[in-house]
Amino acid sequence: MSDPLELDENEEGRPRQRFVLEDTGFDEVPKKYRRFYRKWLGTGDALAPNEAICPVCKVVIRSTRELRPGDRLYCMPCMSRLTVVIGQGGRLEATVTY
Amino acid sequence: MTAARKGAAAVEVHDLEPDQFLEEVHSFEFWFEAVDGYLGGLTYGHAPAAYLPAVAEPDRSRLITALCNYCVGETAALEGASGLVAIAPNRLSKIFLATQAVDEARHVEVFLHRLKELGVKDPEAEVNRQASPGLLQFKRRLLELVAGKDWEAAIFAQNVILEALEYTVFQSHARDADPITREVLQGVIKDERRHIGFGENELGRRLKQSPHIRARIGEVKRELDRVLLDAVEDTMRLVGTSADERHQVVRSYLDAVGRLGFA
Repeated sequence: MSDPLELDENEEGRPRQRFVLEDTGFDEVPKKYRRFYRKWLGTGDALAPNEAICPVCKVVIRSTRELRPGDRLYCMPCMSRLTVVIGQGGRLEATVTY
Repeated sequence: MTAARKGAAAVEVHDLEPDQFLEEVHSFEFWFEAVDGYLGGLTYGHAPAAYLPAVAEPDRSRLITALCNYCVGETAALEGASGLVAIAPNRLSKIFLATQAVDEARHVEVFLHRLKELGVKDPEAEVNRQASPGLLQFKRRLLELVAGKDWEAAIFAQNVILEALEYTVFQSHARDADPITREVLQGVIKDERRHIGFGENELGRRLKQSPHIRARIGEVKRELDRVLLDAVEDTMRLVGTSADERHQVVRSYLDAVGRLGFA
């Protein structure tokens, strides 16, 4: 994850961070989409505010925006459509929307 | 931030409309560019090597048994996916299944080639000799479902049960495999991500639109998942997978069917 910070307002009036995504070498989607995905590196890895794990295939999905509940995400490697929700423990999670 | 980088950041894949997303990821064009990213430059699934490191016994014999059974599973998926093209309910599913059939054909080919590299003179005869009865039973039943044009049941058997188990077994095996086998498996795993996703999402949409099919899918699950789980456990035990990892495979499978509402 790199270079946060271009701020704009969300519907609650709080600023939502913007992120510039760099290609991390994820090679399972066409080049133009690669920066939106990365591998989960296991113990020691952590999700940034603009990232969520796909519950179907465990790839990390990245957005140019800080995630908020209700946001839509797409996991192109496994073709899943996801919605960001507040999960157990108050952390943001992605759930599959069929 | 430079102007160019601002421009790049402005394109957000998650802003696509759902229909645009589905059209894109089911396309042959998407598949071509995706597989080119991780298979380009490889020969039979691994980097060309002047020297192939030997695999010592008893690991070699175990690996041969595992690869033979992987070939049975992949052949089942190849025949299944090919047959499903004809009964797929829409263009996107037909095109996706055509790409899946190509993926499965490649998997059969790279596993047979790996068997040759391990010194097996007649890989196809070896596959027939070592095939697990449980896997063969699963394959027969899957192809009956396809021949019976039972779209939801066949997709559940193939892209949820079979693919989910293969996906986790290959991941587990790749962690401890010799470097050549690991590279072959890693390429296969990347293909399998699409297959499990297609199965879960296609079936999830169908169940949402037609809840009455849930009972039928439940029957198929009860009939087939134990057969395949037993066969997979046997194969994993042969390749030396720990009990913890075997449980992880079962848990991953149960997670997938759990998301679809099957306990």
